Amino acid sequence: MNSVVVKSKEVTLLEILDRVLDKGVVISGDMVISVADVDLIYLGLKVLLSSVETIEKLRGSPFVGPLQEAR
Amino acid sequence: MKLYLYGIIDSSNQTKESIYGLEEAGVYNIPFCDIGAVVSEINQPIQEVTEGTVLEHEAVVEKLMADFTVLPVKFQTIIDGRDNLLSMMRSYYQDFKDNLERLLNKFEFGIKVIWSADKIKENIIKTLNKEQQKKLELSSSPGKKFMKDKFDKYKIDKEFEAKADKFIKVMDIFFSKFAVEKRIEKLKTKNLLLDAVYLVGKDKESNFREAFEHIKSAWPDFKYLFSGPWPAYNFVVLSKKSGLLREPEQADLFDKVTQSQTLIGAEII
Repeated sequence: MNSVVVKSKEVTLLEILDRVLDKGVVISGDMVISVADVDLIYLGLKVLLSSVETIEKLRGSPFVGPLQEAR
Repeated sequence: MKLYLYGIIDSSNQTKESIYGLEEAGVYNIPFCDIGAVVSEINQPIQEVTEGTVLEHEAVVEKLMADFTVLPVKFQTIIDGRDNLLSMMRSYYQDFKDNLERLLNKFEFGIKVIWSADKIKENIIKTLNKEQQKKLELSSSPGKKFMKDKFDKYKIDKEFEAKADKFIKVMDIFFSKFAVEKRIEKLKTKNLLLDAVYLVGKDKESNFREAFEHIKSAWPDFKYLFSGPWPAYNFVVLSKKSGLLREPEQADLFDKVTQSQTLIGAEII
């Protein structure tokens, strides 16, 4: 059960990473010292999918329903 | 003094509660006209992106979201001093203002739908095999068989795409009813059927959640990820070339799928 919770958190974290690192307003110009340039999306997606599949396995039954990630 | 920028808000007032951001520095609003840039002071750009720093950034944006409309700024945007920040605000003001008005009282929700591509393809193959059983018996020479195999693979791939289109079309009809804008991506990977974000008015949130529940129960064999409410990370549209450029309205991915095809698809699948 704990593993399911941990994996659910991983999925939530990946949703956050996806947004914070890849989305959001990009300000450009000389006044900007730095903007993150981290391409984790492909990696993130792979982890996300494997996390979801792991949760299904842990629950012992495929397709048991949604992973409600609302915060 | 370097300023770490978290977001732009629709207020020139300070936050009601104290917020602490990266390096545990106090977060404050630098007003410009009737909007503001929310920042904290930082010594140097973050050397290493960690889970912790990303979560600290997101926590600030989330707290702001409770009281203001927020345009979230990309992680690790650092501006060289207050004067430069005000200069940036001057140059982006109209864009920021337009977005803040458009996104007022709206949230973003993320929906991912995962299907088993292998199972879907297996079903397609079974159906095709049944249909072609008679033809196969009539054309079993090696050359014809080679051509048939090639053609079958093409047909399977086409049918797989068509099924994805039909599913997404139906789902999107439900979600779009309660959303004002959307961004949809189909089959980012073969198993990720739908990766979508919808912009939903606060007053439609419960309807949108109900629509999601409806979809979930309609196709219990799929896996679903529902996230939100988020600030509108995916819906800020800047007109400046140097800024974040997005297409104003995503072209309909499913122009070629008619309403009747959609309904047929829903029944078949």
